[in-house]
Amino acid sequence: MLKKSIAVLSISAMTAALTACGGGGGSASGTNAPSASPGATAGASKPKPEFKALMQYGRFDPNEQVVAKLLNEKTGYKVTYDMLPVENPDDKLNLLMANKEKYSFMILSATQYSKLAASGALEPIDELVNKYGTNLKNVISQNSWNGAKLNGKIFGIPQTGSGTVVNSSLVIRQDWMDELGLKMPTTRDELYNVMKTIKEKKNVMALSGGKSPLAPEILPTFGLPMTTAALGWEEVNGKLVNAVENPNMKKYLEFMRKLYSEKLIDQEWSLNQSNKVIENFTSGKAAMMSMGYFNAPTVKTALEKNTPTAKIGTVPYLKGDDGKVRVVGTAGISFYVGIPKWAENKEEIIKYLDLKLDKDIHKEATIGKEGVHHKVENGNYIPILPKFTEDYNDASGFLTGVDEKNYPIYWQARVRKDPVLFSAFESNQANAKGSAVLDPLSFAPPLEAVGKYNQKLNKLVEDTFLKYITGAEPLENYDKFLAQWKADGGDEMTKAVNEWYASTKK
Amino acid sequence: MKNSPAAKPAKSQAIRSSVGEKLFQAINIVIFVLLGLTTVFPFLNLIAKSFSSEAAVVSGMVTLFPIDFQVGTYKYVASSSMFLNAFMVSVTVTVIGSFLALFMTTLAAYPLSKPRLRGRKFFILMYLFTMLFSGGLIPTYLLIHSLGLIDKLPVLFLPFMISVYNMLIIKSYFESLPEGLEESAKIDGASNMTILVRIVLPLSLPVLATITLFYAVQFWNDYFTSLLYINSSSLKPLQLYLKELFVSSTDTFLRDNVEANLNVSPQSIQAASIMLATLPILLVYPFLQKYFVKGVLIGSVKG
Repeated sequence: MLKKSIAVLSISAMTAALTACGGGGGSASGTNAPSASPGATAGASKPKPEFKALMQYGRFDPNEQVVAKLLNEKTGYKVTYDMLPVENPDDKLNLLMANKEKYSFMILSATQYSKLAASGALEPIDELVNKYGTNLKNVISQNSWNGAKLNGKIFGIPQTGSGTVVNSSLVIRQDWMDELGLKMPTTRDELYNVMKTIKEKKNVMALSGGKSPLAPEILPTFGLPMTTAALGWEEVNGKLVNAVENPNMKKYLEFMRKLYSEKLIDQEWSLNQSNKVIENFTSGKAAMMSMGYFNAPTVKTALEKNTPTAKIGTVPYLKGDDGKVRVVGTAGISFYVGIPKWAENKEEIIKYLDLKLDKDIHKEATIGKEGVHHKVENGNYIPILPKFTEDYNDASGFLTGVDEKNYPIYWQARVRKDPVLFSAFESNQANAKGSAVLDPLSFAPPLEAVGKYNQKLNKLVEDTFLKYITGAEPLENYDKFLAQWKADGGDEMTKAVNEWYASTKK
Repeated sequence: MKNSPAAKPAKSQAIRSSVGEKLFQAINIVIFVLLGLTTVFPFLNLIAKSFSSEAAVVSGMVTLFPIDFQVGTYKYVASSSMFLNAFMVSVTVTVIGSFLALFMTTLAAYPLSKPRLRGRKFFILMYLFTMLFSGGLIPTYLLIHSLGLIDKLPVLFLPFMISVYNMLIIKSYFESLPEGLEESAKIDGASNMTILVRIVLPLSLPVLATITLFYAVQFWNDYFTSLLYINSSSLKPLQLYLKELFVSSTDTFLRDNVEANLNVSPQSIQAASIMLATLPILLVYPFLQKYFVKGVLIGSVKG
């Protein structure tokens, strides 16, 4: 009996809590704010509608976030958020859409966006943006808008992120270099010699790495700026060609095969996850690794804990065979913000999304209040810790389009929360200055063929290349691989990519 | 019982056994102890990691014993509002769910254990049918949706009130109770309900405890239901929280979400989270262990 009453009690408590979140708060803050806020347009006497938004996965409760509350207060619209799950988000999204869940707007990945748009689940927003989207049109570049165009219509707001960023660079045990009297390598051959000397003198593997057969610091020296295995396009005589079709790819694999057979690189390359790579480097089993700037603090403390005298040096980006440095940068549209066909109050939704890009609201929703969450020094935004991290760590999950000029500057406040992190970030960007190469597809709209074959081809390329590098399959079979790549969707992808490319040149 | 006379001479032979046999025994024991240890090892490793400093964990120094002993990870996890919230959801679902499920399952099992129930075979068949065939994922989702249960707490336990398998165990246990008990109670004027509550249930504690444990473990460990039907972060149970914690730290996830790299949770924190999520259900076992073996055995050997 007691247990049962506890049960009933907790259920009713739960429902009470739920309804309190849904209704109570809205009437209190929702009606007062608009008349006070200067950004509000005419007709403020009518209460603003409430919205339900769907966002990508993040490890936080969106409705409890400071940013969510701030946005509700500043815009006068009350928005509640749901998240897609971390695993198989596409399946869940399909379920939700099949059900016509009442979302007002949704933050979608490129593939999700193109699929939903193609199936007619998204509302074209061209006219609405023209009518109500003053801020939207001002801060988002035409280039990005073009990247949202599908069959001549725009179905979502393109959201770019931090601007062009170079994520990783090769780090090396500087203390060993000094001990052996070695000079920092600047070309591939020099790198090879350094690797060989370290291997001989220190009896460790020179370079640890894992999983992806495309070493991001070595591959570009062959003139192949390729990021993920299925992308990586390059213009050759006015046409886009995938890097796997470039004859240099074979040379790259030969080189990696040589490193592998001479035991200069990790013998467990095909198995390693990134934490294993970090473990190898920090425990002194490897002299080099490719390190993302975001891992710098972890790597540094762990290495110094093991070997207090250890020093980390950064290998400059290597010159290619033509003497030019190429570095792979990431940029482009991270997400699209779409409105389902069945959403109510579409004008108000666009008005809301536009209001979010109001200069002051956008800034505060990104990096908080000056003096509380950040301070400004020499035009740079420095986070005030720990308040910034507490309140704004997950703020980027709420973005629905960014001010493309200012956001990359705001964003750096995130990286400045740790000096080691920031110096790694800055050294990457400084070293890559002038040599960063972007994939020509960075700002392309999501192409159906790419979305369809990307994953499959990615797997094919990674699996086969790992076999070539570890010697499980002879490189003579490369032509056979290429034929399969083409048959498995590579040809279709190339065709679609070039159709799009030709259309941008008109 | 039949086996025991045959087993005895074998035992006395073993006393006089040859060196070879002794060696065989010794090797057996060693192998099985090692095998046992391999299952405990990951657990010990996890405990050690959860108490070690992150730097030691990252560089792979931690195996069985913590290095740079600290409890900050536990403090951090236990004070994280998302963890606590998920923990409360799991506790609520497990407590309410197991209790209600036991209640419903017993009520279904009792009548079905009585041969005098008209159409008994038909009803049992109906239950068995659901064990073999189900509507599939999407129809079930649509059903849950039209019941208005999407994103509501009860969705985590209401659809699982009766597990046919557990019901059959209870049913066969009920059948094994001597019929005379019920008859004599009837002569004393007891109603069906009185017989169930006063006589049958007190005698069935072993099986009830076992089934409670089955249900509790099932509710505690279930993450798939919440994955499908729960959208709000505030209703996510612990297992889903854990799953998300790990998946969001994998290479595949981070490659697609470069900015998420800035917020990856340290490995020592992950280890502490697992420990705190596993401990509660682990603590239930010792208390129910004595019923556990008995309950399953008695239910199954009947006949």
